[in-house]
Amino acid sequence: MITEYRTLLPYMRRYLRFYIVGLAALALTSGGQLFIPQLLRIAIDEIAAGDFQIREITRLMLQLCALAAIIAVGRFGWRYFIHGASRRIEVELRGDLFKHLLKLDPSYYARTRTGDLMARATNDLQAIRMASGMALVAAADGIFMTLAILVILFVQMPPMALLTVVPLPLISILIVSLGRTISRRFKRVQEGFSRLSENTQEAFTGIRVIKSFVKESYFLRRFGAANYDYQRRNLELVIIWGLFMPAVTFLSGLTMLILLRVGGESVIMLGFTPGEFVATLNYLEMLTWPMIGAGFTVNVIQRGAASLARINQVLREEPEIVSSPDGRRVAPHTGIEVNSLSFRYQDDAPDVLADVTFTVEPGRSIGILGRTGSGKTTLVKTLPRLIDPPRGSVLVGGVPVEAYDLGSLRLLFGVVPQDGFLFSTTVRENLAFALDDADDALLRRVAEIAAIDRDLQLFPNGWDTVVGERGITLSGGQKQRIAIARALAKDPEILILDDSLSAVDTETEERILTGLLEYRVGKTTVIVSHRVSTLQRADNVIVLDGGRITQSGTHHELIRSDGFYREIYTIQQLEKQLHH
Amino acid sequence: MRGQHTQASLEQEQVVKGYDPVVMRRIIGFARPYKLAAILALLALAISTAGELLLPVMLQRAVDEHLLATHRRFDLEQATEVQRQLREEERPVDADFPSDSLDPDAIVALLQANQITFVRLGEALYVLESEAQRLSGAEQEVLREHGILEPDGYYLFPLNEDTREAAGDELIAENAETGAVPVDVLEQLPEERLRRLRSHDIDGVVRVSLVFLGVLVLVLIFTFAQTYLTAYVGQGVMKDLRMRLFDHTVHQALRFLDHNPVGKIVTRLTNDVETINELFTQVLVNLLKDIALMIGVVITLYLLNPRLATVVILTLPPVIVLTLVFRVRARTAFRRVRHAVSNVNAFLSEHISGMAIVQMFVKEKRTGRRFERRNRELLDANLGEMYVFATFRPLIDLLSTTSIAAVVFFGAHFYLDGVVTLGVLIAFLNLVRMFYRPVMDIAEKFNLLQSAMAGGERVFSVLDHDDRVPDSGARNLPRPVRGELVFEHVSFQYVPGEPVLKDLSFHVNPGETVAIVGFTGAGKTTIANLLTRLWDVDEGRILLDGIDIRELPLSELRSAIQPIQQDVFLFDDTVAENIRLGQPIGDDQVVEAARTAQASEFIERLPHGYYTPLNEGATVISTGQRQLIAFARVLAHDPPVLIMDEAPANIDTETELLIQQALKRVLAGRTAMVIAHRLSTIKHADRILVLAHGELVEHGTHWELLQNGGLYSTLYKYQYEGLER
Repeated sequence: MITEYRTLLPYMRRYLRFYIVGLAALALTSGGQLFIPQLLRIAIDEIAAGDFQIREITRLMLQLCALAAIIAVGRFGWRYFIHGASRRIEVELRGDLFKHLLKLDPSYYARTRTGDLMARATNDLQAIRMASGMALVAAADGIFMTLAILVILFVQMPPMALLTVVPLPLISILIVSLGRTISRRFKRVQEGFSRLSENTQEAFTGIRVIKSFVKESYFLRRFGAANYDYQRRNLELVIIWGLFMPAVTFLSGLTMLILLRVGGESVIMLGFTPGEFVATLNYLEMLTWPMIGAGFTVNVIQRGAASLARINQVLREEPEIVSSPDGRRVAPHTGIEVNSLSFRYQDDAPDVLADVTFTVEPGRSIGILGRTGSGKTTLVKTLPRLIDPPRGSVLVGGVPVEAYDLGSLRLLFGVVPQDGFLFSTTVRENLAFALDDADDALLRRVAEIAAIDRDLQLFPNGWDTVVGERGITLSGGQKQRIAIARALAKDPEILILDDSLSAVDTETEERILTGLLEYRVGKTTVIVSHRVSTLQRADNVIVLDGGRITQSGTHHELIRSDGFYREIYTIQQLEKQLHH
Repeated sequence: MRGQHTQASLEQEQVVKGYDPVVMRRIIGFARPYKLAAILALLALAISTAGELLLPVMLQRAVDEHLLATHRRFDLEQATEVQRQLREEERPVDADFPSDSLDPDAIVALLQANQITFVRLGEALYVLESEAQRLSGAEQEVLREHGILEPDGYYLFPLNEDTREAAGDELIAENAETGAVPVDVLEQLPEERLRRLRSHDIDGVVRVSLVFLGVLVLVLIFTFAQTYLTAYVGQGVMKDLRMRLFDHTVHQALRFLDHNPVGKIVTRLTNDVETINELFTQVLVNLLKDIALMIGVVITLYLLNPRLATVVILTLPPVIVLTLVFRVRARTAFRRVRHAVSNVNAFLSEHISGMAIVQMFVKEKRTGRRFERRNRELLDANLGEMYVFATFRPLIDLLSTTSIAAVVFFGAHFYLDGVVTLGVLIAFLNLVRMFYRPVMDIAEKFNLLQSAMAGGERVFSVLDHDDRVPDSGARNLPRPVRGELVFEHVSFQYVPGEPVLKDLSFHVNPGETVAIVGFTGAGKTTIANLLTRLWDVDEGRILLDGIDIRELPLSELRSAIQPIQQDVFLFDDTVAENIRLGQPIGDDQVVEAARTAQASEFIERLPHGYYTPLNEGATVISTGQRQLIAFARVLAHDPPVLIMDEAPANIDTETELLIQQALKRVLAGRTAMVIAHRLSTIKHADRILVLAHGELVEHGTHWELLQNGGLYSTLYKYQYEGLER
């Protein structure tokens, strides 16, 4: 468990000074607090003795106020330094986690859910912060205060007074043991909550079935069951949780009870002055928190270790696609050569690509046709090494892709993926994503080519309209067109359109392609599409089926020979007729 | 009619409102069924708070009455003497003194008027110090000046042989039950004699301890009861609220549901309701308790000693000012943190989802820098929040100690005046600490209150918005349902200006199987939506057995016409339950339906047969098998009219064959409309309707249409299958 904390060491070392100063301030605070009951004891005893000077009391109380001021400074100090350090460590750890995530392969993201990574970056980091801040304070303070108070009680008070601390360790034990049950039940509550969410999610995803079969009341009952279950789990937690504070109050009350019984008799027997009685009472109250803290620390450290384990798991993940050291930074030309490329995602999985061979001359274009699952996307992803092809099977500019510096290789490409993923920011920032400083004229030009310019005029804030989750919802076609403009703005040597006009109507598509190819004269373009109208613009077309090339040639060659290409062509022609 | 509602969505601007009485009243309204528990919770709250306040008071009583048990003596001989002198000199008694006489009767009357119990031993009255302080400072001053009230303390004890022997020569006064010794003497007594003398007090301490234990147990029980009861009420309210929300939302028209992403609906039902829960379990209870405790402390302080209590009150204004300042600062800091957190989280989740784009464009470094900036902003916000708390808490602690210092300082003065006892002083120290404990919490609770209000507002806005398919039909279908369908001049559009069906009319005879054929966007699926009234027609009407479907109760219509959708939706439940969908259908009927649907074979091969759970996105079940389960579902419900949206997906040949066989059995004996994608399905249909752009362009049997040489024949020529678009 503790080994997980090794990750934190370099961070904590960096803030060693914070921790030292913070702990010193903590010691000042705790030490100061220990004097308060002493001052009160002296004052009470003087008052009890009767023949006191008001001046004496005034002096004591001024001392008390000065002491309180010192304590306040100390309190601020330890909070500032220790919380400050743990906050900074949390932020640095999050930064490093994200930097690491930036390096991981697309395949890692394919098998990892975003929600899971988010949970690690938020909840787990929070648990780690608690362990590196509050737990440390609670532990240091707890140990110091407990020892100091016990020593004071030993030295100053009659041995009898020590009996009073007996219930206090019970508080720690209670918290550690209840803490386990609580975290178990708390987990059950969270599970209940996600079940409730899933139940709702499911019902409203399948709302058509529910409505068609008139099953509203059945699903209400189902939801009711999950709902009831969640309520029950919550109440089960409350039974323990609700016992927590009352039990702590009870136990600390017991110490007062013992003091009253034992110390009270001692006062009667004059072994114990009233002032000492009050001081002990104060010390006992002071001990309650360290005892709660001790139990709390154990729980937090455990939770922190579990969370660190989850963070370490991500940090230990190594990217498989790595840049070649002193790889090439410049491509001799922008031709593409694929030599008997076979690829499978896992060793025991079937081939996604089998013996694919083709060439694209620099500055020319190629079209790729094939059914879903025929390997088109996998093929184009090997070009910029978003997927690593076998060595030597994919060449750009006559050089195997793995011989390039990874960044330089990818900079050659502009990729427009199928789903047209956009970031939830302004249209302008999305278009300028590839650029370090946006040139308005260029952005306007590519927007025009991608035929998004007209849409922009209709957007509430034009170029500064925020799109996506925190902005307006775009249609599939709008997203695709912005994604095309984004890739064009980069003016890449090789442009890959991966079925990126599927949601655009045919006329607009034609307009886009005409403009695009004109703009990119002399540059290489790879077009994946289901539409023959798109593919016929390419200099050459290959047809993929089950990961193999079944046909290749120019559009005109292909429509003249039997095969999949012509089938599709005929049907799409027919469809066109129907629509006009 | 439509259109004005299309914008109806759950979108809410993020205004953080403060306390909103309307929202509050509605939330409280949901607590009505839990009135008893709520009242009991309040009762428990009152008892536990009273108990907690009682504890320091008990401590004080024990200190004054048993630990110290110091008595003051009023010398009655001296009183008589003083009064005689005054009368001789014809001097009046001091103006501050309430009585015009200082004779013993007047002294007794004075004590009685102040409800002070006294013991008379010889020519003196003995009064417990804590009670003597009920006399005003001026009164005590007068009595002291005249030597009636003596400065020395006396210890009183029940007189018996044992104590008389223990007191020995020191006994200075006595009556039948009580003896008295000067307090100073106690210190000189040997321990054994002291113990015998004070055995009465030791017994008293034991007695008080037992009561103290009792109160502790009481506090334990009632605090727990109060926590549990409030949680019970809170959870109950949440449960009811979620139920209402679900019930309400599930009955909304698809128009509404299509405009609100499922995620948003889920958030309303879960997270937003949860914030209201905080209102009950955190805010209401703690706030009530904190306020009750603080008021209780102030009252107790005044009961114990009004003068010293006033001192405490006078130290409060800085606390109040500080708390108000803190509230505002904390809120600002808190908002900044929340804003920064959501910025960081949004950035993270977005860039994790879009990591491929970042890497494709080689923007790792820049993205890293941008994240760093947001991360730093979050740090600044967090540190800002920390500063606020790191100043507030220590300052409140400082003020609390200052209050205590003031109590001791003024307490010492009052003690000299005899208006405060040591026990009271000690009790004050405890109570002042108790008073300061909730101060820090209260300010924080206000922030929680705000988010609960915002959550409540969002939840109620869902409940206030009602957009259902009108279910006002009262006519019943004649039994048995024949299943005759008529479309009469039906027009429909989802979005104004984009008609999907245009003046569509056709007729389906009872028991007939009709295939609908056409390209994507021809309006095929819309026909299914209209038939089951997921949407209502804009113009024209649809008749089932001669009755306009809008005149039928929705449930009756939907049990008569049931669909099989393209992508079969399976719920997270067992196979059997997915067939049954909650209908009271026996196991053998489920098996029978599955067998007829050709699904029994693969179901029985599943790990738990019919009781195999199908999890979300169940990968164990193939598309074809899903289709078979959907068949079984329909067979089990046995509707007279079936509308099927055939899946165009490529299915392995084996399952495909099963589907073809099953389909025949499913269609037998009922009216069916099939939105067909497979040639075999089309061929087996009694009639084919060819749709293009929302209009019926051809209809007839397969052979008739082929001979016509129209659109259908062209379609057919190029095979109606195997292609994806």
